[in-house]
Amino acid sequence: MIGVLKSMATTMKHALDGTTFTVEYPDVAPEVSPRFRGVHKFSQERCIWCRQCENVCPNDTIQIVMDDKRNGEQYNLHIGQCIYCRLCEEVCPVDAILLTQNFEFTADTKHEFVYNKEQLKNVPWYKDIDPLNSRNPDRGAWIGEGEGEVDYQ
Amino acid sequence: MVPLQAQGQGQAQAQPQLLPETLVDLLGLGGFGVLGEIVAALIAAFIVGNIMLTMTAVAGPWAKRKITAAFTDRIAVNRVGPFGLLIIVADAVRLLSKELIVPEGVDRPAWDLAPIVLPFSALLGFAVIPMGNGIQLADPETGLVFAFAVASIASLGVVMGGYASNNKYSLLGGLRAVAQNIAYEIPLIVTAASVVIFTGTLRMSEIVAAQSAPLFSVAGVTIPSWFAFVNPFAFALFLLANLAEIGRNPFDIPEAPTEIVAGYQTEYSSVYFVLFYLGEFLHIFLGGALIATLFLGGPAGPVLPGFVWFVIKIWAVFLFTQWARSAVPRFRIDQLIEIGWKGMLVLSFANLVLTAIIVGVIAA
Amino acid sequence: MSLEQPRDAAAVERTLGDELETLLGDRVLGREEHVNAPGFVIRPGDVQDVLFRLRDEAGFDHLSCVTAQEYEDRYESIYHLKKYADPTQEVSVVVPTDKENPVSQSAEPVYRTADWHEREAYDLVGIKYEGHPDLRRILLPETWQGHPLSLDYDQDRPQVVPLREHANPLHEDHADEQDADTMYINVGPHHPATHGVLHLKCILDGEQVVDVESDIGYLHRCEEQMAQQGTYRYQIMPYPDRWDYISAGLLNEWAYARAAEDLADIDVPEYAQVVRTMGAELCRIAAHMLAVGTFALDVYGDFTAIFMYAIRDREKAQNILEDLTGQRLMFNYFRLGGVVWDLPEPREEFFEKIRDFLDDLPEALEEYHDLITGNEILQARTIDTGVLPPDVAKSYGATGPVARGSGIDYDLRRDDPYGYYDELDWDVAVEDGCDNFARLLVRLREVEESAKIIDQCVDLLEDWPEDERTIQSNVPRTLRPDDDKEIYRAVESAKGELGIYIRADGTDKPARFKIRSPCFSNLQTLPEMSNGEYVPDLIASLGSLDIVLGEVDR
Repeated sequence: MIGVLKSMATTMKHALDGTTFTVEYPDVAPEVSPRFRGVHKFSQERCIWCRQCENVCPNDTIQIVMDDKRNGEQYNLHIGQCIYCRLCEEVCPVDAILLTQNFEFTADTKHEFVYNKEQLKNVPWYKDIDPLNSRNPDRGAWIGEGEGEVDYQ
Repeated sequence: MVPLQAQGQGQAQAQPQLLPETLVDLLGLGGFGVLGEIVAALIAAFIVGNIMLTMTAVAGPWAKRKITAAFTDRIAVNRVGPFGLLIIVADAVRLLSKELIVPEGVDRPAWDLAPIVLPFSALLGFAVIPMGNGIQLADPETGLVFAFAVASIASLGVVMGGYASNNKYSLLGGLRAVAQNIAYEIPLIVTAASVVIFTGTLRMSEIVAAQSAPLFSVAGVTIPSWFAFVNPFAFALFLLANLAEIGRNPFDIPEAPTEIVAGYQTEYSSVYFVLFYLGEFLHIFLGGALIATLFLGGPAGPVLPGFVWFVIKIWAVFLFTQWARSAVPRFRIDQLIEIGWKGMLVLSFANLVLTAIIVGVIAA
Repeated sequence: MSLEQPRDAAAVERTLGDELETLLGDRVLGREEHVNAPGFVIRPGDVQDVLFRLRDEAGFDHLSCVTAQEYEDRYESIYHLKKYADPTQEVSVVVPTDKENPVSQSAEPVYRTADWHEREAYDLVGIKYEGHPDLRRILLPETWQGHPLSLDYDQDRPQVVPLREHANPLHEDHADEQDADTMYINVGPHHPATHGVLHLKCILDGEQVVDVESDIGYLHRCEEQMAQQGTYRYQIMPYPDRWDYISAGLLNEWAYARAAEDLADIDVPEYAQVVRTMGAELCRIAAHMLAVGTFALDVYGDFTAIFMYAIRDREKAQNILEDLTGQRLMFNYFRLGGVVWDLPEPREEFFEKIRDFLDDLPEALEEYHDLITGNEILQARTIDTGVLPPDVAKSYGATGPVARGSGIDYDLRRDDPYGYYDELDWDVAVEDGCDNFARLLVRLREVEESAKIIDQCVDLLEDWPEDERTIQSNVPRTLRPDDDKEIYRAVESAKGELGIYIRADGTDKPARFKIRSPCFSNLQTLPEMSNGEYVPDLIASLGSLDIVLGEVDR
């Protein structure tokens, strides 16, 4: 009986102290860690069409179409199929593809989740955070010597 | 001494005017004879019924969520209307506009009747409850017995629903409900009988009146002789037995969502589900009303009008059920039956005998 | 970890192998050397004989896993045996069977756990086990055509079977109408308490469970096949997160990392080991919080306080993991040879966050004890229900909190050390109750132990010299382990022993990738625990097993 009363006292304590743990999501933008991996952003200007991202992608989310002169034509990414493992960003030698922290994406059909390179370019930053600075992977191995300022737009 | 005096006073007092009679006077229906009385009674019943249904509507979709959220560090409904109160409307629309799914092979008349029996058995019980400010529909000699009798009809509704649903989970739920209700109704009524021994009457208004005398005074604060103070043991017993009777945690075994899905109401949807849901909350409130009447002095209380006090008391009981729900695990069915027959029943009879002896000694 | 140890272990293995060879005598057709253990090739008809000897005379009482695979010229079942007393002593019993008529003797009479493992082997690969009590498909539907992991399996073969040809799902429902004392009831696949899509076929006598049979496979996502199509270096690592998706991701990743690193001889820098250990224990806390919360949910019956409090504390652990790995559930944080990122900058803030979490934890646990373990009603509900005696648990290959709740002192973190565990000071939580309550206590105590480990890791990381923070060793971008190299390695995940068997074929993808899921073995014990008990106890026992269907079905 004492244990039962203790249980009830515990919950009553929580009821009375009034603290809540709820995030009022649409009104209050949730805190997202700097390393959080969301929808991709792609920079056509930076891409060298090496197709490493396409090769490393574990579930064939990235599709690259090139013409016969090996110039890039299409860069399609199915953000609904993506598992957000960030391997494409990891292997990219020029930081052309980057996972933003934007986790808010909706569509009426799954086909609308197939983003082409224009749509990928227009993916907004979340709270204007550029995640590249906060993720500090051992990029030297991929990038080699510096590429200068990183500018995705 | 005190209760006996109270009893004497109660009998000496003139019977308080009942709500239908007030209405006859108010609306000038006196000239229509029996017809007028019937009309007044119907209007009165309509009023009381709607008061209870309104309270249920507030409790079910809104208060329950808010209370649970408070216990679990959440906010709960706050989007629709002030404090989320309009969720009541939204939920009503949502639930009523859903398709009423009638599963194949249900036992039709019984299946349709069950959701009606449940809320109405509870509503009938309110007929004899004195709610203060003259709001009482009827005050028969056997008021208490009537309240228990109609409340027990709910078991029938539950069994009908469970048996007619053609679903094994429903059947299990229905069977559990019967076993539970039989096991806990007896301690409930026997405990109530100990109050009756004090008052010497089954009439609700007199039971309330019997509790109006002061018990003792502490530092200028007069404690009334509510039976919760006179006999706290009986109060605790009644509170627990009532939890089981209305099927709340830790005795929510007939529903037991994690075990038998939703028990007897598994197959009910839309309007029928609403009726079941209403019925459950009405039963909580009826239980609260009985507790208030038997142990907490009915509508008695300082400053505020009696009816307000009455509402506060039954909401306190509702809050208690929700509090228990937040922290107390559910018993297993065999443990529940064991507690009912071996614990509660014995204790309630002990309480009855003890009360009888005390009353006898005082009377002597 | 010096270089001496592996060499010693190899020597021990060789002498162990020789001893066992003498024990088995001429039943041994040949020896194989797996990376983890000596392997003995035996005849398909000798399985029970050999296993009985190994169990009773050599003490190999733990059938960890059964791997089945098809070669060009033969089928093969491998029984991975271990000892509960010392899991570093391993032996593999390799049973090749004929290509035309793959029939092998069943190991079920020796180890009860072989029941499901062999059913899975039959289902996916197509080996038939003679003397198996109930050789049916387990993961795939009864009507499935062909065995998907066999070499000649036709991927394009239509698998739609019309309803009229399918067994009537209601047939069993009415099977024993003559026997009116019992009632058949389906718990699941859609039921509030099955923690996913699990289907329990129950036969009830009133409220009591006469028999219960688990029907699994609803969440079978071909995880093994997917791993076989991924490259070692990158493409496999995201998937372990999705086996046990209850935030135990890093623990699962470690299982693959450990197996693949031992297979390809990759060293992991010490610093990365500490980071791994810390992350893994955070995952364990998160997983156990959910286990405790949902177990309470099963007993309480509503989304009540304890569930919400547990989720709240789990959320804190997840926030830290999000800072560390960039994701809340599907971390993909480990890489072969280390981890992908160093701790987030600024490090002090991160340490601060972890310390705050650890400081609040004792208070939270105190509250849990007030709310659940101290509650008499919960004790009445859980003590002496779902009893699993230690010998039964061993026979079923139960591991993790389920085994430790039955008094089996078995924890791979201590008994088969990996990562940084053997350098740290912590205890293995063991309870002798063998019941639902004991399993609950084990989990709560393990949370405390994990907190201890994390605390020590944070101490170490804080003082780690800046120039020695190597997070990854040098690993070639394409890994091609030697042809025909085989390994079976396990780690202690939140639910128990999570083992990975990999056979390399010289390419950059595994030829056979087998997952030994702890939940798969643990779930098998359910009938032992709940037969004869009440329905609510069945639900409580299921909750106390803490299964994740994603890992059971893979």
